[in-house]
Order: sequence, then structure tokens, then C-alpha cells
Amino acid sequence: MNASKSTRVIQIALQIALAAFVLLPFFWMISVSLKPATEPFAIPARLWPQDPTLENYVTAFRPEFRTYFVNSMIVSGASVVITVVLGLLAAYSFSRAQLLIITVLMGGVVLAQMFPHSAIIIPFYKMMRAADLLNTYASLIIAYVSVTLPVAVWMLRGFLLKLPVSLEEAAAIDGASPLRIFCEIVVPLARPGVIATAVYVLIVTWQEFLFALSFTSTKEMRTLPVGLNDFIGQYGIRYGELMASSVMVSMPVIAVFFFLQRYFVAGLTAGAVKG
Amino acid sequence: MTRKDNWLIWAFLAPTLTLLGVFLYYPMIGTVIESFYDTSFISPEPRFVGWAVYEKVLNSRQFSEIVWNSVIWTLGVVVLQNLLGFFTAVLLNQGLPGQGVIRALVLLPFVLPGVVTAILWRFMYDPQLGLVNSIFIRLGLFEDSAAWLASSDTAMAAVIFVAVWKGFPFSMLIYLAALQNVDKSQMEAATLDGAGALRRLIDVVLPAIRDVILVNFVLTLILTFNYFDIVWVLTRGGPQNATHIFPTKIFETGFGQFRFGEAATYGVFSILVLAVLVAIYVIVQRATANRRPVA
Repeated sequence: MNASKSTRVIQIALQIALAAFVLLPFFWMISVSLKPATEPFAIPARLWPQDPTLENYVTAFRPEFRTYFVNSMIVSGASVVITVVLGLLAAYSFSRAQLLIITVLMGGVVLAQMFPHSAIIIPFYKMMRAADLLNTYASLIIAYVSVTLPVAVWMLRGFLLKLPVSLEEAAAIDGASPLRIFCEIVVPLARPGVIATAVYVLIVTWQEFLFALSFTSTKEMRTLPVGLNDFIGQYGIRYGELMASSVMVSMPVIAVFFFLQRYFVAGLTAGAVKG
Repeated sequence: MTRKDNWLIWAFLAPTLTLLGVFLYYPMIGTVIESFYDTSFISPEPRFVGWAVYEKVLNSRQFSEIVWNSVIWTLGVVVLQNLLGFFTAVLLNQGLPGQGVIRALVLLPFVLPGVVTAILWRFMYDPQLGLVNSIFIRLGLFEDSAAWLASSDTAMAAVIFVAVWKGFPFSMLIYLAALQNVDKSQMEAATLDGAGALRRLIDVVLPAIRDVILVNFVLTLILTFNYFDIVWVLTRGGPQNATHIFPTKIFETGFGQFRFGEAATYGVFSILVLAVLVAIYVIVQRATANRRPVA
């Protein structure tokens, strides 16, 4: 590195500016969530409350919020498990079978990940209505599994293509059945890909809004994003509570992401960069 | 897997293919069918009307507004997000102190749920309590607070800004991975030839990652065109339709007014746009795939 000193200074200044651009809204969200309801807002705004308190969190963690939280956990959890299992099965076939029709079908999977959700939602809604599934967990889980499967298959297939086939061939020569090879050799080796895919599905489903807004109609079935959106009308002025709720909604995904980031980033960029 | 394991191949594929067929491909066709029927709140029984809904939609003033908004929105977000993502990737690839921490922190907006992002920024933009106005006033740029989301002059720019804030980390991630694949010896050779940082960027880095830029650009075009949550929570398409784009219009018409036929017609138009974008994507991918062995 032979950049001159002044270039370095500019670069460091830019890096600090970048961090501020990204972090200031987060800082503000946390600051307001800790502001006591009695402390007035001031213009220009005070950046940090005088007496930080957790009272907003206590108030915001009301029974409805807990219901939304449980609903989100059920719907996202089930979607993650089902998508990863079905996706891994399909990805294995897509990565190992050498048939023209398989290549064509994979093209169909890639195409499906680009479908606009808003353009399919009306027939989707009518199907759910006909099956009497509106306002149930099942309707959301079906929707989430369907819309996340294409990317999941694509990520997992990219991962499986990089695994050496020689292990599977050796096991086949030893007389292991294809199903056993899959369960005992492929699945354990696929773990990093499975983790990356699970993180992807979690991030997408935890924040999904359009299907949840269209398919659920009662407070008992709302998920967190829809519930949070409802709060705007109800508690519009009480920004402290709104921000405390926002922090609580975001924490689980942010925590999971930071623990498992390296898997996710590797899984995502491998496919995107190498095509 | 050998030929006699064919049953296993299809058994593994069956659940995924069934789900995609029934819940993604069939609804795409269903939207086209739906667009030829008229439904309204008063007469909820669908009635075949041929091209009537298309005529109605195409002749409405709203349609041209929505097309125009979608163009501004999509191009604005995609161009800004890719530019910012690219320059951030270059900056965070210089080996500066604290780089690792910043790289991780920059990803935060990408993980922040869309509805949370929108609520947070609604608050940031608030005329009375928001930080954006506070900053501008403190810097002496403004005397009075502006209602960013409530004025049709500024609403679109304000919404685009939020989408870029949330979206650029994703572009950065892709560009950073691409930059790390740039041949180091080529960079060193250019440096020995006396090329400055800017020259190296233009002569070595840009050609090396051109394919990634193209593919990423088209991919973000498709994703941005389909965006719903942030726009809906920030403005619901308002004020005076200033931020209405295809997805928000479809939702409002379909689930706000239960005019499924009209919503589906908007859906068909967005499928057509998507088809064009996908065609571009395929062409770009083909072109880059053909170029790769030569490079």
C-alpha cells in the first residue's frame, strides 16, 4: 500500500462518514426507545435522552405484541424447516442428474424467483379462500415456502455442485443405496449451505409483509410486520413505544445474522459472483 | 446417481416442482385470466368482460402516473444503490484500520426488516420530531421544517433515499466479493507501470468485474420494480399518487377496494415489464458467460 498520507486521511474520513450514514438511524431508534414518555421532544433534537429508561419496552411488550411475536416465530420457523428440507432434496437432484429436462426445469426455478409477489397474490388469495385457509398459519407457511424455495434451491444447488462427487461414487461402489448416500454423506457435508439457506429464509420470512397483510384479518393471526404497521395508527404519536417495538422485532434477525454471517455471505456471493 | 436411480431424482424433485407449479406458475396464469373479469365490491361475482378492464385502466390518468413513478423509482433506486454499493466496496477494500468492523456494521440496514425500516424513516422524516429536519436546521440549511413525505414534490425522493439506504449493503456485498477476485498480479503490474489509484480502477478493476456489475444491475432492477413494503408503510402511494408504483397500486385496488379484475390488469402489465427485464437478464448472462473463457 503506497497511498499518500492525504489520501489515507480522506479514505478514513469517508469511512467514518459511511458509518455515520448507516448507523445514525439505528442510534436514533435506540435513543428514542430509551426516552422517558415525560421527556419532551426538542427541535433541534437531543441525541441521547437525559434519563434513559426501559419503560417503553415494558409498555410495548403488551399481550398483542407477544401474540404477534409467537405467530412470527411459528410461521418463520416452519417455513425455514420446510423450505430447507424440500430445497435440499430438489437441489440434490438438480446438482447430480444430467438430463436435459432437469436443466430446463432448473431454468424454471430460476425464473420463478423473479416473479413479482404482487402479480400472483390475487389468484393465490382466491386459492386460499377456496381452501378455507385464509387467516391461518398454513396459508402463510404455504406462501412463504413457495416464494423462498426458488432461491433456496439455487443457493443449495450451487453449494452441492462444489462438493466432490468421489465420496458418493465410492459409497455407491461399496453398495450403499442412493438414499443412504444422500442421508449419510451429502446431508452432513451440506451443513454450511443449509445454514446459509436457513438464514436467508429467516430474513425474508421474518419481514414478509404483503402476504401477511393480505391473508390475515384478525389480531390473533397477525405477524410482527403487520402488527407493527397497525401500531402506527394506534400509537402514532407514542414514538418511544413504536421504536421499542421496532428494536424488539429486529433483534432476533440481527442476532442470527451476525452469528451466522460468514455462512450467509459465502453462500450468497458464491452464486452471484460466479454466475 | 445412475440411470436406475431415476425414481429418486423425481421423488426428490416432486414436492418442490409441485409447490412452484401450483403456487407460483399457476397464479401467474391466473392473474392473466382474472384481468378479463370484472369484480367490484357491489357485484362480487366475477363477470367476463373481455378487454374492458384494460381499456378502463389504459385510459385512466392514474395509469400513466404509475408507469412514470415506476420508472423514476426503479431507475433512481437501482442507479444510486449500485453506485453507492460499488464505491463503498472499493472504500472497504483498501485495508483501512477498522475495516472489518465497518464491513459488518454496514450490513445492518440489509437485515433490518422492511416495515421497521419504513417506520424508523417515517419518524426520521417527521416534520416536528424527526432527525432529518433537525440536522438540516442545525446545519443552517433550512429555517423551517419540511414535510418530506407529505409533499408530492419530495415524497418520491424521500422514499428512494430510504430504499437506497436499505439496499446498498447488498450491492456492496456482491461488489466486495468481486473485487476480492480481481487478479492481484495485474494490479501490481499496473502499479509498476505508474498507474494511479483511479487509473487502476478504470483500466484493471472495472473490466475485470464488468460482468458482475451488469448482472447485479439487472437483478436489482427486477427486485426494485417488485418492491412493496417500504413504499406502502412510508406513504401508501401518496400524496396524490406521487409514490404509487405497480405493487402498491395492485394491493390497494385488490385488497383495499376488492376490484380484483383491475388489480390483476395492473398485475399483467407488471408481468410484461418483468418479462422484458428477464429477457435482458438472460441476454446479459449469456453474453457474460460466453466472454468468460476468453478473458
